[in-house]
Amino acid sequence: MAIMRPNRIELGRTGATTLREFAPHSFVRRTVVPLLLSLLSIGLVTAALLAVDVNVATMLVPLAYLIPVMLAATRWGIWPAILASVAGMAAADWFFFAPIYSFRVDDPSEAVDLLLFLIVSLVSSNLASRLRKETETLRQREQEMHALYEFSRRLAACFTIADLVAAIQRHLELAFGHPATFFVATADGHFEPSEARFAPPDVQTTAAAMNAGVGPLARTIVDERRREIWLLRAISSDGSVHGVIAINIGIGSQQTIEARTMRIEAVLDETALALQRLDIGKAMESARLHLQAQLLRDAFHGTLSHELCSPLAAIKGSASVLESVPAVREDARTRALVDAISEETAQLDGYIQNLLSATRVTAGGLSPRLEWADPRDIVNGAIKQRGRRLAAHRIETAFADELPLIHVDSGLVEEACGQILENAAKYSPSGSIIAIEVRSEPGHVVVQVCDQGVGITPDEQQKLGHRSFRSARHQTSVPGSGLGFWIATTFVQANGGTLSVQSRGAGQGTTVSISLPASASSTCELTASANE
Amino acid sequence: MSKPANVVLLIDDEPKIRRFLRAGFELNGFVVLEAENAAEALKIATFSPPDLIVLDLNLPDLHGAEVLERIRAWSNVPIIILSVAAGEDDKVRLLQAGADDYVVKPFGMAELLARSEAALRRYFKSATENPVVVAGPLSVDLVTRTVSLNKTLVRLTRKEYRLLHVLAMHVGLVVTHDQLLKEIWSGNQRDNIQYLRILVRKLRQKIETDPNQPRLLITESGVGYRLQNRFDAVPVADRVS
Repeated sequence: MAIMRPNRIELGRTGATTLREFAPHSFVRRTVVPLLLSLLSIGLVTAALLAVDVNVATMLVPLAYLIPVMLAATRWGIWPAILASVAGMAAADWFFFAPIYSFRVDDPSEAVDLLLFLIVSLVSSNLASRLRKETETLRQREQEMHALYEFSRRLAACFTIADLVAAIQRHLELAFGHPATFFVATADGHFEPSEARFAPPDVQTTAAAMNAGVGPLARTIVDERRREIWLLRAISSDGSVHGVIAINIGIGSQQTIEARTMRIEAVLDETALALQRLDIGKAMESARLHLQAQLLRDAFHGTLSHELCSPLAAIKGSASVLESVPAVREDARTRALVDAISEETAQLDGYIQNLLSATRVTAGGLSPRLEWADPRDIVNGAIKQRGRRLAAHRIETAFADELPLIHVDSGLVEEACGQILENAAKYSPSGSIIAIEVRSEPGHVVVQVCDQGVGITPDEQQKLGHRSFRSARHQTSVPGSGLGFWIATTFVQANGGTLSVQSRGAGQGTTVSISLPASASSTCELTASANE
Repeated sequence: MSKPANVVLLIDDEPKIRRFLRAGFELNGFVVLEAENAAEALKIATFSPPDLIVLDLNLPDLHGAEVLERIRAWSNVPIIILSVAAGEDDKVRLLQAGADDYVVKPFGMAELLARSEAALRRYFKSATENPVVVAGPLSVDLVTRTVSLNKTLVRLTRKEYRLLHVLAMHVGLVVTHDQLLKEIWSGNQRDNIQYLRILVRKLRQKIETDPNQPRLLITESGVGYRLQNRFDAVPVADRVS
């Protein structure tokens, strides 16, 4: 049944290997098989007619032979239909018209019958095959429209150049049934997407030149060494090039390459047109605007840290000087006032730091500086940093012996742990225990914070990861911005860790587990090396 | 106490910050000079050299790091940096450029004074002075190379002592990872911070009451370590639990 395999142009990365089946199969399947099938159907009709009474058969002859002709015309096209017409006429003459078993026709009326049959069958097969072609074109057009619609929908949902490139790649993949590369040159001379670097250097340099608007908009590159042929086509509108599509069509005989090139060129042309029509330029522009918004956020981050932190520093500093003045220290009333200033400043500082952390995340400025750190230092740092907030609770820490080192950005992880501790203190009664356990698991160190507070309902658990989520249960009783948990999650993830929350429900306390990547070398090995 | 008062130069463009710094330092017996920009600061530092400089990084005419470099080109005067939420990289760079320590805004006066005193002590320390560094229950004799905890002798390995020695020389001040690695492993293993972490862990087991909650050998996240010698200046957090 190899003959029945669908005729897909397989252009693998090693194009040469799939070439063998390309031309012969196509010819046999498209031309020979339908012709044979139409002859076979004529044979079947003849056999059926021979099986019935001769008189009845002679009456049915012209009509019965029209059936395979129509079948061939609608299923296989005009040539099989013509063959069926001629074969049908010959079979009728040979088997049913006197003299039998000869092509001679003695009766003139029978000769007219045969001629009429031939004319009717030729005309109707022509009509039927044309109908078939039109239906096929319509179906194909509908599919194309659907693909284009899908494509434009995907393009509209893109926010970055990388998204755009991915969408275009997907479209090309669907159109070719084979991955193609869409190059976009970035300002610093690199390519989007980064996999583009797998293309041969020739293709890369040519794509770069084409991206820069140098030379013709369509090129073919032959890579002798890798035995590959690459087609490149620039996408441009308003005189500026937005990107270059590159596709590897492998290698093969002159004829196969030409056939394949024609098909791919057609798809390339269409995609290029579609991209122009869908205003790829505008889409890229909006991606650029998105980037600008990000820069603006960065600027906001800078301003926020300066304009808010400076007055705060003056207030906190002044309060701390007042605290140290003997006259103030010794008078209970004034000391209480100064304490209140310090307390409130610390709280305000906490909010500002949260806001700064949040803008840092959304500004995309989170690039962890990974180094080996002792998990104990990080947990102790977090407790120290949130000392004021934890003062009303009993903090119990338990560190496993021989904890491995973890490979993280200590600052970020300390902040994440701090946020979780602060939440634990915020949502549990004063005097209750907050238990911190740090233990080692294969490949990980787990920091677990367990409180005896309000717990989390299954409903709240679902929304927990969202920015600014605050449960309705505590909106009025506990102050906060709802940023803490989101910041903690983002920071932990940025360090290649995971954060999970368990709670048996409202009032049952909450357990947060932070899992972080640990050192593979044991502390004993390190100790030995460190003492060398 | 008849020793002459220390002179501190405050370099900050914001009057409100300078005002409380002046009050805080004067209350602690310092003589205070002020500069609101880099040009003025460099002039004062040159013509009436102070004993201590407190330098804010955000100056209108020149970046603080540049001022630091220019002063360091000819003077060893202790310099404490004030910065707003600086990243660890910035802190390390400034320490390597010659700053003695840093304080991140907002900060309390006690913290700044502790750092200032540590820096001054290191600056004025002479050979005739007592070679014993005391940090709480711990004392390190830099000449005889003996370490005792609550008057009991502590046995350290060569590397452990080296680490403690470097920290004790800078008691109260932060010492960067780089500097420690360089001083302890001199050349080989210089990049391996894992060894340093483990060595610190071993040392803590010998000198800390609770190695899981160190009070003497303090980690400065992402920057280095500090041998703490003033326990009244410890933030509220350490008094918890």
